[in-house]
Amino acid sequence: MTLSLTLGALVSLICGLDRVAILQMMVSRPIVAAPLTALLLGEPLVGLQIGVMVELLWLARLPVGAAVPPDDTQVAIASSVLVIALGQSLDASGTELLLLCLFVAIPLGKVGQYFDRYAREYNVRLVKQVSSALSRGSFLAAEGQHLRGLISFSLSSLGTYAVIILGGWSIIPLLWPYVQQPLSYSSSWMQLAFPLVGITVILGTINVSRAITLFCAAFCMSFLLMWLV
Amino acid sequence: MAISWRTRLHIWFRLLLLQASWNFETLQGIGFFYALFPGLRKLYGKEKLPEVSLKYIGYFNTHVYFAPLVAGAVLRLEEDRASGTVVPEVEIDDFKEMVAAPYAAIGDAFFWGGLRPLVAGVALFFAVKGILWAPLIFVLLYNIVPIWIRTVFFSHGYRHGLKSVEFIQRHKLPDLAIHTKEAAVVILGGLSAFMVFSQLTQHQLPSWLGMLTLIPMVMLGLVARKGISTLLLVIITVSAIFLIGLFWADVVQLMVF
Amino acid sequence: MALVLVRIDNRLIHGQVLEAWVPFIRADCIVVANDNIARKPLQKLMMQASVPSRMQVEIGTVAEAILLLNSPQLKKRRILLLFGTTADAVRAYQGGLIYDRLNLGNLQAERGKARLSCTLFLDPADLDDLELLDQAGVKITARCIPADGGRPWRKLIPVTKRETR
Repeated sequence: MTLSLTLGALVSLICGLDRVAILQMMVSRPIVAAPLTALLLGEPLVGLQIGVMVELLWLARLPVGAAVPPDDTQVAIASSVLVIALGQSLDASGTELLLLCLFVAIPLGKVGQYFDRYAREYNVRLVKQVSSALSRGSFLAAEGQHLRGLISFSLSSLGTYAVIILGGWSIIPLLWPYVQQPLSYSSSWMQLAFPLVGITVILGTINVSRAITLFCAAFCMSFLLMWLV
Repeated sequence: MAISWRTRLHIWFRLLLLQASWNFETLQGIGFFYALFPGLRKLYGKEKLPEVSLKYIGYFNTHVYFAPLVAGAVLRLEEDRASGTVVPEVEIDDFKEMVAAPYAAIGDAFFWGGLRPLVAGVALFFAVKGILWAPLIFVLLYNIVPIWIRTVFFSHGYRHGLKSVEFIQRHKLPDLAIHTKEAAVVILGGLSAFMVFSQLTQHQLPSWLGMLTLIPMVMLGLVARKGISTLLLVIITVSAIFLIGLFWADVVQLMVF
Repeated sequence: MALVLVRIDNRLIHGQVLEAWVPFIRADCIVVANDNIARKPLQKLMMQASVPSRMQVEIGTVAEAILLLNSPQLKKRRILLLFGTTADAVRAYQGGLIYDRLNLGNLQAERGKARLSCTLFLDPADLDDLELLDQAGVKITARCIPADGGRPWRKLIPVTKRETR
């Protein structure tokens, strides 16, 4: 249990930093982060399923300029940890548990947005410190201040992870006995609905004229091909 | 005085940490100074260095993948100025300001708006099939262009300095971004069809039902265009499916049996 | 002429405008009213090059923008108008370019400017400008991108008074 949470926190830290602070290799995307977490915890397929469900949800929220999108990275990582670790302690598994974890994690992903914003606001004080270091002529200190920004971004990532894990850990065991049965009637359809809703949001906000027409044509053609061939 | 390739490599690696101190006041300002510092130190004496550095930590923001291009060009301008070729100091500041927003716009449109959904769509085909390599496919496919832009354009900027902006006028990059987005929309259309079709086959339901999914999807797309948040759309869709599931289980099956 | 969005943004044309606002309001023409950019041909060229070719871009001084927008030239277009500063917005309004809504996007931090929200830094003169427009009946909202909720500018002011830096 402790091991799972720690491994999750490690992935949360690395992927969280990739989001804004360093590299931007997109290992922070849910489709990468969730399977990676799940692989470390020994059930990669769970991560893959979560990745598929979360990846497209907020893909339309672009990190343009100073705009801060919801933290889908931590949602993906924390819900993978919840499904696997909490599943073991509750002796539960399956799509229903996966869905319940996501229902809890996704609204909490909004918290990540606030933490991220807070980290960027906290970093404002680095500006003053860097300029005073430079006026003193101590360049090493100025460079150090830049790297100090990594701390705020790390804390924001780990904070979001912790909030989702704690929230999930306290709510999911309470809800699980009540929702398992009702969820089972429609769980696979809900699982399908997540990526589809994500796609519709992309269609609604992408800067392409006639995106919906193009989408429908592509959908019909692929569907007919699979159906008739 | 030329900047050695070692220093340039150092700067390139530092550019990977460009946004480590991203903040709402100067955005990437400190990061840009941090990246260029090894070069600046070579060009300026001890007395001038603090003053120049202070100028560099000011407001700056561009797309992360285009930052090396700006950095390369700025490095060339600084080098020209140091070696005596007349480049008035204002010009470097103006140059930074001039290219930052256009490069940001192009990068945002191409990478975040186009390439990311396109590659995500391709990778999800594999992921939906349960192929564990899907994340790796995503990372490898996605990173080809960013790595190319970051490395090749860094040296392009360094080689051409002020003239490095010409490529953007030659190549109509914003239109390329639109084409990428169109491709992404087509891929996502195919992906939706694939997911719906697999689901129907799994449940042994008639395939024509799948065509009906277009109706709610188009409706949701139109709603999303009005600016309704994703969270709300998810809640609406999921509760609708949940209620239908309950209804199906309780009422319909009781009536049948 | 349909003026679908009037925005103050010191970065003028950038990702937020092109990727978030343009599809949201379905604009097909961007007018930039900024004396500074209008005087620099290379800068103007760069800005035009960052916009897809299916969109019309007009970059000019505030005075030129007033003339252009009051002429029948852009009659069939859905226009997004960008100002760089609050002073320009007031100047245009007083020059006869009437709009009823104003969007506050980004105003970068400078010495003497106080923080209104994450991306808005204003000094007393800016606030006076906004006050003037508000009195004239312009509805001013701070909204970075459409996905953020819009907030009326007056609700932001107490924050400034508390943390004058």
